[in-house]
Amino acid sequence: MMPPILNPRVYIGLLGLLSILLVPLAAQSPFVYHLAIQVCVFAGLATAWNIVGGFAGQLSLGHAVFYGIGSYSAGLLVAKFGISPWIGMFAGAAVSAAMALLIAYPTLRLRGPFFSLATIAFLEVVRLLVVHQESWTGGSAGLNVPLQIGLPWMIFREKWAYLLVAFGFFALALAVSWLIRRSRFGFYLIAVREREDAARAVGVNAVRAKIAAAVISAVLTSLIGSFHGMYLTFLEPSSAFSLEMSIQIAMFALIGGLGTVVGPVIGTVLVLPVAELARGWLSAFGNGTHGFVYGVLLVVVVLYFPRGLVGHLSERVLRLIDRLPNGAKAKAAVLPAPAAQKPLATQGQPILRAEGLHKRFGGLKATDNVSLTLHQGEILGVIGPNGAGKTTVFNQLSGFIKPDQGSVSVLTENGWVSPRSPEVFAHAGVGRTFQIVQPFTGLSVMENIMLGAFMHTRNRAAAEAIAREVAQLTDLTSLLDTEARSLTVGGMKRLEVARALATRPRILLLDEVLAGLNPSDVTRAIEMIRRIRDAGVSVLMIEHLMQATMALSDRIVVINLGQVLREGKPADVVNDPAVIEAYLGKGYTHAQTA
Amino acid sequence: MSIFIQLLVNGLLLGGAYAIISIGLTLIFGVVRVVNFAHGEFLMVGMYAVWLLAQHLGLHPYTSAILVAVMLFVMGGLMQRLVIQPLLSADAHIQIFATVGVSTALLNLALMVFGADIRKAEVTFGTEPMSVGAFTFVSGQVITFVVAIVVAAVTHLFLKHTYTGRGLRALAQNRMSAALMGVDVNKAYILAFGIGAGLVGLAAGLLAVQYPAFPTVGQYFVLTAFVIVVLGGMGSLPGAVIGSLFIGLIDSLAGYYVGPGLKEVVYFLVFLAILIVRPTGLFGLGRGSE
Repeated sequence: MMPPILNPRVYIGLLGLLSILLVPLAAQSPFVYHLAIQVCVFAGLATAWNIVGGFAGQLSLGHAVFYGIGSYSAGLLVAKFGISPWIGMFAGAAVSAAMALLIAYPTLRLRGPFFSLATIAFLEVVRLLVVHQESWTGGSAGLNVPLQIGLPWMIFREKWAYLLVAFGFFALALAVSWLIRRSRFGFYLIAVREREDAARAVGVNAVRAKIAAAVISAVLTSLIGSFHGMYLTFLEPSSAFSLEMSIQIAMFALIGGLGTVVGPVIGTVLVLPVAELARGWLSAFGNGTHGFVYGVLLVVVVLYFPRGLVGHLSERVLRLIDRLPNGAKAKAAVLPAPAAQKPLATQGQPILRAEGLHKRFGGLKATDNVSLTLHQGEILGVIGPNGAGKTTVFNQLSGFIKPDQGSVSVLTENGWVSPRSPEVFAHAGVGRTFQIVQPFTGLSVMENIMLGAFMHTRNRAAAEAIAREVAQLTDLTSLLDTEARSLTVGGMKRLEVARALATRPRILLLDEVLAGLNPSDVTRAIEMIRRIRDAGVSVLMIEHLMQATMALSDRIVVINLGQVLREGKPADVVNDPAVIEAYLGKGYTHAQTA
Repeated sequence: MSIFIQLLVNGLLLGGAYAIISIGLTLIFGVVRVVNFAHGEFLMVGMYAVWLLAQHLGLHPYTSAILVAVMLFVMGGLMQRLVIQPLLSADAHIQIFATVGVSTALLNLALMVFGADIRKAEVTFGTEPMSVGAFTFVSGQVITFVVAIVVAAVTHLFLKHTYTGRGLRALAQNRMSAALMGVDVNKAYILAFGIGAGLVGLAAGLLAVQYPAFPTVGQYFVLTAFVIVVLGGMGSLPGAVIGSLFIGLIDSLAGYYVGPGLKEVVYFLVFLAILIVRPTGLFGLGRGSE
């Protein structure tokens, strides 16, 4: 896991970090020390915030609540009970973790500004309560931390000692963030941020991922808050639980680059000293100067560099760094892909069964007593005119819609099971694509496919190996390094299939993968579906392209008005009068007989 | 019993003041689909403007309310044109940061220019106590309440019965289709943002009679306005009015029965409950969980 120290990307990064320590030690000025400590604290806070705000895309504007809880817990424990902040900070972290659960769970389905508003409201509630509980929090007057000097009390005479401790907390936050970004968990967070449905279809438990991110971020924020409280030696609700600080933390991350590991650090290192210096130079203007600088900078960055400094500059900088000796990219060892899942049923035996599915939307019977069976090794085509209810059936087969009545069962190693949610369907061996393609646009093709592969392995290299193998099967090998957003429609549709395949499904549900493709892409896709079937995956496909469906399918189910109209061999189905009528209306049969 | 009724009256009157601010906020959200985190700072700027006009020209806040409303209309239009319009198709988080940035900059600018002291225009008209039967209140509160009702009615008529108003409602429902039907999207957005900000200017004039101006005065009012607008449903005009009266009542009753320090806790808890249980609010457009 540890990157090679001789790689310039690694040593330049480490040197950059160490300079936060070395510059003030060399300068020996109290102001530079203070600046460096503040940089460490805020870079750590921004890094912690970025786990929720950047990786998981949940824009919390109430993060100071964890900072405040951390500083108050440590401060109160030392002031009232004489407990060392080194212990107190863990008490604070525990409270913060509980608070994060309390906030995250109910706000999960809120998006964008609504989530931000909810976090602000939580912050306000906690702040008001702290002010109100005067008897033990000190109320709005604040709380003095007893000045016991020494390591056990986290209070020092020399600034360099503070700096070392601050740097330690910062390094901890950075390390956690780095590990998350590289791990499967980090991939999952980004997947949930970009497209929650697609993420669930490849087996990601979106709820668990978001909550875990919230808790980790809260704990780190709280620990840093505990330290900062000891450094300031004075706590008051209006600054410890302030909206202003919450915004500041988020802003550093945005300016540096949301969702990147180094972004929050770079944002803090560049902006915080400038604002602090501005406060010194323009002190005639009073208190608002640095806040004004922050606000203006924020607007400018949002308008002109919305991806942050790292987002806009990282490629150029990395290319420069890679020119240093040893800079060639180290080739990752290529692992053999793990073996495909063994078929559980013999050819032609049932592997997925839907029985008596009913689904109403208001007065509309979207699915009216639909039963169908998919057999091992077959391609089952589901056709029907527009609005017949095909996609609704499909969503019930993959857990995105719960049927009002009836059940879907899947054959797994543990026998027949009836999964309840999309991610459980995915784990039971059902892969699906989306009619409207849902690529994770910010990720490369390789990373998109890896997301599927992570369902069966935690190991990056193994996931990469699976991705390469699947790419072969879906004609994507030459495109692995491109960003998903730059693919053609045909490429995106194949990527949908690839991502589903990477979860190693036994059953693949394809929702109109041929729609909107040009003729040569259709031919490629037909061959691809055959290859997939030949690899042992049973395929159920919804399709509008008649010829292709006829050519591919072993069996066809026709759905009309939410009901199964006909089931049988392609040749029989197309000549069935009822089917012709459903597609072409009564007039057609009349015209034929006339 | 008479205390209770007095509290109800106080609450409704307070709700009138909140209503003007909330109508502006909900209009901007409903049409432009942007949550304006700088809304409170617009109010703050308006209140300083009212104070300056009173200080240097001797204008009564009710007179300058009109001037300040025009000034804030321009300010809101400029903000839409210069900050929001370039970001219309950007991610939600980018839009949030943009308005948060404007809010931070304005708040701190006020701190730099005016310092943290409170500034209040001293007037008599609008501050005289009035009494009806056993109940007493301040005349300015009644005036504010009446203006709020008028503003709500006029805004409603404008949206329902004018061509421009229909255009704004069409935009609120579907930006693309409205554009296809010939609504000039950018102009309409500038108008909507301008009106929303202008209403805040009007509110500034009315509130300045009872409340002083200070840098964070906007935060004080606008956090409440957010509660109201979410409660009534983002983008809903009747929701904003009913929500205002409701929160006014909670403010007044909780302030008396729960304690002044905790009344805000009460309505933030109501706010969270609404967000969590019914994020579309009571009359909303159904966008809360999108």
